Amino acid sequence: MLGLMMLVFIVLSGFSFLGSRNQVTPDEITFGTHYATDGKKIFQAYNCMDCHTIVGNGAYLGPDLTKKYAALGPAWLAAFLPSANMWPTEFAVQTQLKDKDIAADAGVDTIEAYYEKYPEAKERVQRRGGKPTYMPTLRFRAGEVSQLIAFLKYTSAMNTEGWPPKVMTGSLEHRLELLHGRVAGSAAATPAGSSSAPGAATSAGGGAGGAVERGAQLAQTLGCAACHSTDGKKITGPTWKGIYGSHEKLVGGGTATVDDAYIIESILKPNAKVVEGYPEGTMPPYEGLVTDEQIQDLIAYIKTL
Amino acid sequence: MLMLILFFVQVGLGLLLALQHNDPTLLAGTLNFNVVRSTHLNLGLIWILSGFIGSILYVGPLLSKRELASPWLIKFLFYAVVAVTLWNVGTQSLAMQGSAGWWAGQPWLQEGLEYIEGGRVFDVIVLIGFAILCYVVLRTFPKVREWNEIHWGLGLGVVALTVVWLFGMFYVPRVDLQEYFRWFVVHYWVEGVWEVIHISLVGILIVLLFKVSVKEVGYAVFWGILLVWLSGLLGNAHHYFWVGTPEFWQFWGSLFSALEPLPMIFCFWHIYLDAHANRKPLENAPAFYFILGSVVLEQVGAGILGFTMTFALTNVWSHGTWVTPAHGHLALFGTFGLLVLGAAYYAVPMLRRGKPGDFDQRLGRLGFWLVFSGIIGLALAFALGGTVQVYISRILGFEWLSGDLMPSMNLYKVLVVSFGFVLTVGAGVIVYDLCTLGRQTERTKATEPAPAQIPARPATGWSRPLTGFEAGTWLMGMWIFGFIVTFNLLSYNLDIVRVHGDPTLPYVLAGIGYPGLFLTTLLFVWRFLASMEARVAEAALSPAPNPAAVGGGGRA
Repeated sequence: MLGLMMLVFIVLSGFSFLGSRNQVTPDEITFGTHYATDGKKIFQAYNCMDCHTIVGNGAYLGPDLTKKYAALGPAWLAAFLPSANMWPTEFAVQTQLKDKDIAADAGVDTIEAYYEKYPEAKERVQRRGGKPTYMPTLRFRAGEVSQLIAFLKYTSAMNTEGWPPKVMTGSLEHRLELLHGRVAGSAAATPAGSSSAPGAATSAGGGAGGAVERGAQLAQTLGCAACHSTDGKKITGPTWKGIYGSHEKLVGGGTATVDDAYIIESILKPNAKVVEGYPEGTMPPYEGLVTDEQIQDLIAYIKTL
Repeated sequence: MLMLILFFVQVGLGLLLALQHNDPTLLAGTLNFNVVRSTHLNLGLIWILSGFIGSILYVGPLLSKRELASPWLIKFLFYAVVAVTLWNVGTQSLAMQGSAGWWAGQPWLQEGLEYIEGGRVFDVIVLIGFAILCYVVLRTFPKVREWNEIHWGLGLGVVALTVVWLFGMFYVPRVDLQEYFRWFVVHYWVEGVWEVIHISLVGILIVLLFKVSVKEVGYAVFWGILLVWLSGLLGNAHHYFWVGTPEFWQFWGSLFSALEPLPMIFCFWHIYLDAHANRKPLENAPAFYFILGSVVLEQVGAGILGFTMTFALTNVWSHGTWVTPAHGHLALFGTFGLLVLGAAYYAVPMLRRGKPGDFDQRLGRLGFWLVFSGIIGLALAFALGGTVQVYISRILGFEWLSGDLMPSMNLYKVLVVSFGFVLTVGAGVIVYDLCTLGRQTERTKATEPAPAQIPARPATGWSRPLTGFEAGTWLMGMWIFGFIVTFNLLSYNLDIVRVHGDPTLPYVLAGIGYPGLFLTTLLFVWRFLASMEARVAEAALSPAPNPAAVGGGGRA
């Protein structure tokens, strides 16, 4: 009897992993030049599974990650993962979409099309963008973020027999109403309205207050604050506290004095001179995304810190 | 040599303390949640295993009427467990830097897979440790021809423990295949190995506590193990519903793992029968308290709660939510944790005093009730929180921790902490009690309450002898609430919940099912123990007819 059951189990197991099932394997999936097989090792090295679940197994603190690539897309993930302590703003996602590999992988190159294709990214940007998260910043090494995205792309492609169950309760507004009641329905619409146009906010911010206030505002809307602290804490990038006028050691030798020229270069071409102790390629280039005025405002703000 | 075993159990309890304090309520900071959680899981497994090892090595010689083989190896094993535990605690925090120690395609320092987070170095040392355990246990046992059922249970248990461990020792690049083998370790350990050791240890402890013969429990142990394996082997399929393995597992998993509670009902029934084989008063109350707690929570946590979420149609909702840890905590700590504590309460006084009941048993009773109500409360908080979470996360599709999900679950998070605190206090009481048992006896012997201090009222009402019919009714009650919980999980499939988003039905069913189940459990254990305690009063009231009753009952 026991032997019979073991036989059934072995036969079923054999069928489970036949090539003809067309279950995706990690060696078939890449993201840019990065492989899902490497991503899985990174996933385990950071023990993601003891906060999140993957295929539903793991800890129940963070959300299940299995289908997150399909829901959020590569640009949102690339904006989020390096500085996981803050939810990405629309500008931060847009910046990632400028990357050729990411745009190619997402299959779209404008933020509107991206939102169309990945509605959960839109919901997150509008409801949470710029707010703090519960996830600690993990100081990923160069390339690890892309490898993780490759891994999540792989798990998204997996056939998990319909799990997690499809949400069938309708539109976001309707679901929010079900969760918070009717009164909150209008309240929930307000933050969506105010943050849905960060572009407008940045230019409108120009009118109010002096350069320092505008700079502080920009640090939020552009998403700078996700990586650069203003209280001296070392997160993804160097802290801005006391950085102006300091001398920083650079990757590959040499030092740089942090002055206007260095800051401008670091915003437009951040990988030209990377401060020692920080991974290269983490900060996206902002060339063509920010105006000279905005940079001057940011410099004025940084000087005060 | 015997002192050593004692140490084993104490190490187990020391780890228990650490485990409780690590309860993951302190978020981020210097120790990220995942590190705390992996340590919580690993220490939980290690202390229970230490308890198993200690218990097996204690009962092995008694059972075989032989000396323990190679005591020096056991001494070595003891230090190895201490060292490897420290190593494991140390390496887990490397996850914060993302260092797994990759070399030759294997993660040597830490693996980042739930339950088997230890790296390869840890795995290899543990494997050697298990091999030593097998060697010592099998050498201590007599020739195979002379084995009784408990010998078989423990012997198969330790060998299978070692074999199953091997499946967690290689890196698998595919997620589906990785999960497939990970559950070999996790499911077959719990369902195929630990259950077997559990049944055998409960069997031998009942033999020792109630002085029944090995033959009488032997057939229960035999059938228990057989049923565990018959249902558990294919029952593993319930882990293969959504991990990327084919749909046909849903059929096999739903069918066979629904049978998994059978051996537990059997075991439950048997502890009732054996405890009532005679009407002698309990010599060592705490030991029996914990063993009863273990068998009852095995029934409720593993059996009933496991049953509710074992069908593809219910598991699709419970999977990956707080509903699962309600089952996990009750089943793992409830079944195995309470058992090794019970074994410790039997072994420690025997080792220190040489007599089973010769100590102040009040702290032990207090500790039991604190731990028992703590773990039940914890399960209730997880279960109700999970019910809300299923609705918000799976039905409405919100999972924003600080925005959508957390506010609705705050109450349950506070409850988890509160009951966790009760549990921790209970654990503290037990550890203190077990560590100081020897000395306490001398100090408090004068004040030890005489049996007469317990009100010598006639055994009626709450403390009248428990009949088989009544025990069966209690069990039936638990299952009725269990079915209500099953319907709670099933009700998420209904259109009114899933499409129209009305949570009333699942909330009401959960609101009846879980508290009802846990309340019934608490009351039943209270009732059972009250009936056992009443025997002391009976014995004090009528010392004369008692020996006759014992003699008569023993035959029955």
